[in-house]
Amino acid sequence: MSDHVVQVRDLRKVYRVTERETGLGATVRSLVRRRHRDVLAVDGISFVIGAGEVVGFLGPNGAGKTTTLKMLSGLLHPTGGEATVSGHVPWKRSSAFLRGMTLLMGNRSQLVWDIPAADSFLVLKEIYAIPEAQYRRTLDDLVALLDLAPLLHKPVRGLSLGERMKVEFAAGLLHSPSVAFLDEPTLGLDVSMQSRIRQFVGEHNRRTGATILLTSHYMDDVVALCRRVIVIHHGVLLYDGGLADLAERMAPYKRITVTLHEPLAGRGLDAYGDVASREEFRATLHVPRAVAPERTARLVRDLGEQLADISVEDPPIEEVIDRVFTGERPVGAPA
Amino acid sequence: MIAIYRQLLTAQLQSAAQYRVQFILWMLFAVIRPTIFLAAWVAVAVAQGGEVAGYTTRDFAGYYIALTLVAHLTTAWNSFEFEFEIRQGRLSPKLLRPLHPLHYAIVENIVWKGTTILPLLAVLGLLAATFDVRFATQPLHLVLFVPSMLLAIALSFMVGWVVACGAFWLQRVQTLNTLMQRTAFVFAGQIAPIALMPLPLQVVAWALPFAYILAVPTEILRGGVSVERAMVLIAGQAAWLAASCVLFTIVWRAGLRRYSAVGA
Repeated sequence: MSDHVVQVRDLRKVYRVTERETGLGATVRSLVRRRHRDVLAVDGISFVIGAGEVVGFLGPNGAGKTTTLKMLSGLLHPTGGEATVSGHVPWKRSSAFLRGMTLLMGNRSQLVWDIPAADSFLVLKEIYAIPEAQYRRTLDDLVALLDLAPLLHKPVRGLSLGERMKVEFAAGLLHSPSVAFLDEPTLGLDVSMQSRIRQFVGEHNRRTGATILLTSHYMDDVVALCRRVIVIHHGVLLYDGGLADLAERMAPYKRITVTLHEPLAGRGLDAYGDVASREEFRATLHVPRAVAPERTARLVRDLGEQLADISVEDPPIEEVIDRVFTGERPVGAPA
Repeated sequence: MIAIYRQLLTAQLQSAAQYRVQFILWMLFAVIRPTIFLAAWVAVAVAQGGEVAGYTTRDFAGYYIALTLVAHLTTAWNSFEFEFEIRQGRLSPKLLRPLHPLHYAIVENIVWKGTTILPLLAVLGLLAATFDVRFATQPLHLVLFVPSMLLAIALSFMVGWVVACGAFWLQRVQTLNTLMQRTAFVFAGQIAPIALMPLPLQVVAWALPFAYILAVPTEILRGGVSVERAMVLIAGQAAWLAASCVLFTIVWRAGLRRYSAVGA
């Protein structure tokens, strides 16, 4: 038996959308004859995810990330292809499948607004048939990890966005799912709450060994949680592999930033690398990874006492991902 | 499943408790329409010397008071809700749980109808006294009323859900729902008892499910049909319920294949 918890092969989804031109004439015509257009949201993607992995699922808006998550959580039927999650075909929505997974969406609520979360949790306890002892243990863990105690007995509609997200997380994980699909879990949250949720997801993965597939526009989420990323764009898989490898493939350079005690004025730096930016006292160079140590040493030697500071860094991950999106070509074979 | 229902009922009761004004308004509307029809038919009967086609003013009172109770218990609003659940993405969280979304609707129905039945019975008692009501109900009618009422509730619920599933295909399933309600208005026995309709309309009424939802339990409760006829009508209710369950299963499955989980 395969130890892959999530297996996706050639998964496709085509949406049929109604189209109408603007204006009175077009409106009248649309009453008689509707025009439809097929939109290819996911175009034959394939990947596998092993037990306990935390994988970042990246792509710009409209790339097909959420559609893929909806198919993997059984909300959508695919147009073609195959997928299994924990050995179940998601869209058959068997009870065993639904008990073993969760889909958390940052902008959606699954709790009853008019009643306190504690009461919604009791409903979920019965729906998922969670044994009393396990329920108490999991709830205690979640309350401690997410600092939920002050929130449990307020009606959900009275909670702030950040508080509600914490409660939503608890509701989604109360049944201890072995697979969690997280769609923009930190959307709209302030920096401190984002960090809190990130820490929680990492801790949850370590404690329970749950397999997690996560989409986020905040690269900090991805860097903090995922060693592996899957990048899709226009429904096509562009990259599947290590986050560090992605940086090496798509941005095969290091950023060397030098700051001098005196103005750079006319000082030639082209011999050390491509000058990416230049200010009065500071310049940033892009240098091929292989020669970065040697160039750094040369800069230190040549600039001598004029050098106030020097740093060598990988390019920001946002820049790397942007290069993948704009390149729109597969840069690595699926793992 | 009992434990699930107990928790769902508790949660739903807590929610419902926060909408007391809506509750009172709804009660008013539930009583006003049948009372208007009752007053109109009483006026007609009085003008025609005390009765219309065998229905005296007291029979009309019995019919419309029984009808108000049956209409209350068979109200189905889920197709209205379901359209919004689909459009606003509120169906998705329910689909992610190992419990069919129908169960939430069943609990909503139990809570809403259960909490409104006592005040409604009080209002109907007042109406009965005002119009000097007459029931020809025998004990056996009361025995048969129980299964007939339960079948009517289930049938109304399932027919409502079959229509609700239209929301998987249609932007505005309310159009379909309105069409159904208008048809039911004519053929379920709301405007007039079905026995008072012209024969062709009676044939149509008994060929549709709506009379089995309203007219059948109403006539059984007021003792307006023989026990033998009541049993035939109950068999008709059971057949319609079976058909609506089969139809619901088909449209639900087909609908889920088409569901696009917009906004969720």
